[in-house]
Parts: sequence; C-alpha cells; structure tokens
Amino acid sequence: MIPAVTREDLKIIGYNLGKICYVTGAVLFLPIIVAVIYSEFDTIPYFLIGSAIAFILGCIVSHFLYTKKEMELKHAVCMAALAWLLAPILASVPILLSNATASGLDACFESVSGFTGTGLTLTLDIDHLSHSINFLRHFLQFFGDGIGIIVVSLSILGKTEMSSVLAFKGEAKDMGMRPSIVRTSRMIIKIAVAFLIIGTILFTVAGIKAGLDPGTAVFDGLNHSMTGYATGGFSTHSQNLLYYHSVWVEVAAIVVMVLGAINFNLHYVVLGGRRREILKNIEVRVLLFMLLTFGLLVSANLLFTNFYTSGEALFRKGVFHVISAQTTTGFQTVSPSQFMLMWPVFSMVLLSAAMVIGGSANSTSGGIKMLRVGVLLKSFWGDVKRALLPRTAVVREGFHHIEDTPLTDTVIKGAAVITISYLILFSVGTAITAVHGYGLEDSMFETSSALGNVGLSCGITSPSMPAMLKVTYMFLMWAGKLEIMAVFVLFGFVILGLRKGIKK
Amino acid sequence: MAVVLLLFMVPLVSAETGKELVENSVRFDGATVTLRGEVIGVLMRGDSAWVNVLDNGVPIGVWCRADDAENVSFVGDYTHIGDTVEVVGTFHFACPEHGGDLDIHAENFTVLRIGTVVERTPNLLAVLLSAVLVAVAIFTVFWLRRIRGERSRIVPWPMSWT
Repeated sequence: MIPAVTREDLKIIGYNLGKICYVTGAVLFLPIIVAVIYSEFDTIPYFLIGSAIAFILGCIVSHFLYTKKEMELKHAVCMAALAWLLAPILASVPILLSNATASGLDACFESVSGFTGTGLTLTLDIDHLSHSINFLRHFLQFFGDGIGIIVVSLSILGKTEMSSVLAFKGEAKDMGMRPSIVRTSRMIIKIAVAFLIIGTILFTVAGIKAGLDPGTAVFDGLNHSMTGYATGGFSTHSQNLLYYHSVWVEVAAIVVMVLGAINFNLHYVVLGGRRREILKNIEVRVLLFMLLTFGLLVSANLLFTNFYTSGEALFRKGVFHVISAQTTTGFQTVSPSQFMLMWPVFSMVLLSAAMVIGGSANSTSGGIKMLRVGVLLKSFWGDVKRALLPRTAVVREGFHHIEDTPLTDTVIKGAAVITISYLILFSVGTAITAVHGYGLEDSMFETSSALGNVGLSCGITSPSMPAMLKVTYMFLMWAGKLEIMAVFVLFGFVILGLRKGIKK
Repeated sequence: MAVVLLLFMVPLVSAETGKELVENSVRFDGATVTLRGEVIGVLMRGDSAWVNVLDNGVPIGVWCRADDAENVSFVGDYTHIGDTVEVVGTFHFACPEHGGDLDIHAENFTVLRIGTVVERTPNLLAVLLSAVLVAVAIFTVFWLRRIRGERSRIVPWPMSWT
C-alpha cells in the first residue's frame, strides 16, 4: 500500500526547493556583469529584482520548511519536477521586466525553453535585445541543461550525499560515474567548462572568418558555445546561424552539438584514456547509424525534389539540420517559414523522427535517447533470431555501454515504458497543435521539437500563437526534460494528497 | 556619403516585404526584387559583404559589394537603430553560390536613412523596486541568521558557507 502524504514529505520537498531558489538568484545576478561591460545600466534593476525575489523566497521557504530529514526517492523526484517549474518562473522576471517578450506567459515560455535546453523562442526582437538579457537566455540553457541546476544546487548546498544521489535520479541524470556525488558534479562541471572553452574558441575563430569584429565574435561565440553544448539552440540573432552565412560557423556548431549529445560517462572514460570505448559504445553506434540514415534520406529527398541541388547545399541544409535535430540542439540555417511552406513532407517527418529519438542518455540531449533505442533494436533483433533458430537454441543478447551489460527483461521494459510514454505525449501534443488549424506534418514537427527539447521551429511557435498552445508546449518541454516519469510521480503524489489528505 | 539619399528625395518604387519574399520564395526565385529594411548585421568578405536586412521582423541576407556595405553607418542593436536601406537585386530561395542560403544578390544598394543612437535610461520605478527588494533580501538573510542563534542550523545558506 502506498503511504499517505505527510507534512514532513512536503517540508522535505519545500526545503530543498529553497536551495533551488538560492541558486536561481545567483544565476540571475551574473548578467549584471555583462550589463556593466556593455554599459547597459538600465537593465541592471531587472536582474536585481529577479535575484532578490529568488533569495527572499529561498530564505523564507528554507526557514519555515526547515527539516533535518533525508530525502527519499519520491521526494527527490517530486522536488526535481517542481524545481524545473520554479526556477523558470523566477528567471522569467528579468525577461518580462525588460519587455523582451509580449507577456508574462511568453516570458515563462522563454525561461522554460531556456532551462530545459529547448530553444523555441517567443522573444519579440532578438536583434535589438540587450547583451545582458541575451546572455541570460543563453546562460539559462548552459546552466539549466548543460550542467543541471539541481546537480549544482544539491551538491553545493545539499546536506548529504544521499540527497544528491536521489536528486540525480529525479533529474533524469543518473550518472553512476564516480562514487562521490560531489566529485561527479565537479567532473560534470569540468567537462562542461572544458567544452565551453573549446566551443567558444571554435565559434570565435569561425565568426571572425565570417566577417564579425572580434568583440562580437567572442560574445556570439561564448553564447553559441553555451547553447550548442547544452544542445539548447538559442541564438543571439533572429536568423539563428543563418545570420553568418558561413560554412565555418556551421562546422563549429556541428562539433559542439555532437560533443553535447554524447554521454557524460563516455566523455569521462574517453578522457580517462579508454579511447576504444567510442567505437564499441552502443549509443555512439546508434547515433552514427541514425545520423547516416537520416542524413542520406533527407539529402536524397531534398535532391530529388530539386530543392537543393549542390553537394554543399545538401550538406549545409540537409545534413546540418539532421545533426541539429538528432542532437536535439535546434540550430537552424533556414527560416521557419521555409520549413513550413517549402520543405518536402518526407524530410519534415524524418526530422521529426530524429527529434523524438534524440541524443545520448546522461547527456544534455533530449528525446527518447539512443540507449533506449539501441536496447529496443537489440531486443527486436533478438526476437527475430529466436524465431529463426531451433527451439533448443539459447540466444543471449547484451550491449556494450561503458561495460558489457546483459539485455534483461527489466532493461527492455524500462526502455519500452519511457518510449511508449514519449510516443503518447507526442501524439497528444500533435493532436492539440493540429486542432488549432496547423497541418499534420507541421504539428508533428513543432511537437517533437518541444517534447524532445530541440528548438527547431517551422514557424508555429511565435508570440501570436494561441495561449493554449504555449501552455501545451511548456508542458511538453518540462515533461520531456524530466523524461516523463517524474511528471507521473508528481501527479501521483498530488492525487494521493488530495484523496487521502495530508497526515501529520 | 554621396550615395546616401534621404528618403524624401527618392521617389519610392513599390517594394516586396520580407514576409512576402520568404513565404513565396519559390515564386520569386530568380526574379529581381526590391527590399527595404533596417540593417542588423554587416559581415565583410573581401570585395563583397553580407548585409542582413530586417523588414517587419523578417530578416534576409543581402550579398553586395564591400563598397556598398561600407556606406552603412549604423547596425541595429540594443543601443542603435540601424540604417534603412533599399536593395534591388536577384532573389534566390536556395542560392547555388552560397550553400543553399535564402538571399538577395544586390545590384543596387542604397542607404535611404542613416540610423540613430537609442538612449536607454533606467526605469525609475524599477530602480526603486530593486533597491527595496535588495534591502529586504539582505534584511531577511540577517534576520534568519539571528534566529539561527536560537535554533541550530535553520537555513543552509549562506550560513553553511561561513
């Protein structure tokens, strides 16, 4: 029997959410440095207001809900689900006050899109946006999705290791990389910062080569490196990467996107010297297979429909968008209207499929994840083999992911449950979008982009879209980031509290 | 600045909007079009340059001569309204020369109006509110710190760092 919700349960969840408030407050303080550098003093009060509200809320919640009790798994999962709502709401304050969006709902949408590393945007005029607000948008993606706000919050401010381990599970970042959670967090931050530096250098050099002045190249490079590694996809320009009209910028983006889409564990073991792991790892194999298959199919479709005819165009438009979709980044070099009005339906459907499948588990990517797809494909192949072999033959399936792992029913069931949940949400999201009058393939495209935390847009996402759709996409981004199960646990927790009441 | 013509001195021909061009790009492919808008980016490439032009929220890349791009005085950003330019040129929905980019190859590039600097002054209400909230936040931290003396370890931060 499931135990009833107690006041202590609520205190444990609330107390840990207080820590999220502190960290969000600190995050909102950072763009003030950018505002000072670019003499945008008028924006400073917006960040101070947002930061102060977060700190005050954190203090009050931590004080009144103080508890010494440890988190259990249910607390960690509910806390993670609520944290991904609370932090975006707090971070939307400066976005709203600076009039970067048309309404509070749009500011929340932008913030949710940032924290979840999605990249769909409702910002009104990106080209005239202040550097500080632009930096905040990009930093939200790097901090929220690239590093993981809960990882940082609990490993820095958490009382014990156990709380943090459980929160990792809640955040869908069950690393198992190193024995100590603090060391693991440090490792994640080290990997992220190292790739941030590499990405910034790549983007800056490419930007200068594209014709930018060095100052702009560094600013754009830093921001695109943050969103590229976080597989977020926000850009400092409304044209996204098309602004640069440069193959070098696109190549830099591909490198950073692929690095972001690879499992942290794999980065760790490869950096530790086990380089052959890259070739043996199931996720890398599935990623390469998917990129090759989707890349070839999309390119062939664009070629045979006479949309793009040169090899360069097929690479820069076809292959680039397949990589952007598969890694769930959302960098774009065609206008959203072109996707909606001109791209062939088959290519749109393939990009949608790539977005739903997504990148690696324990990476910054969204989607169902390569590991689950790999497990399901292996299981399918095992069943085919069993059907062909004599009844007495024993088929033993396994896969290699850092270490050799047997393909058990539990593993297959876990992968299947998440996959089915994703597909149900994808169908519901597509239906809601289509009901608002959009075409089926466009609805599939935008829904998979929101659910997979991608950010590619065919133009449906805009400040003028219906409020109902904005809320739907915010829910999809949130559920997609939490890999759905945490959302069901939170709903179950709420329903339990409503049905049985809250016990002392 | 000889090429700079003021808006009122030029009899304007009808121009396509950025939205029209992007949404009907197959129809306009290869046609000579006219686009007016604000410059939001200039990227010099040797003898040529990319000038990104924004018309009613729709940006389009214009490939033009470097000499034309050098006549642009202001590029639109947070503290500037960019120059308004008129571009007459060949439209490509998937330019074969530029890796499939949607662009216009300019034959005529005219600066119609020079941009301006935008003065951004702080909002007084926001300044006051931020001062009050920061004061409340500092007070709350110190207030809880005092209470901590009465109850052990009430708030984990910032006390746990001291």
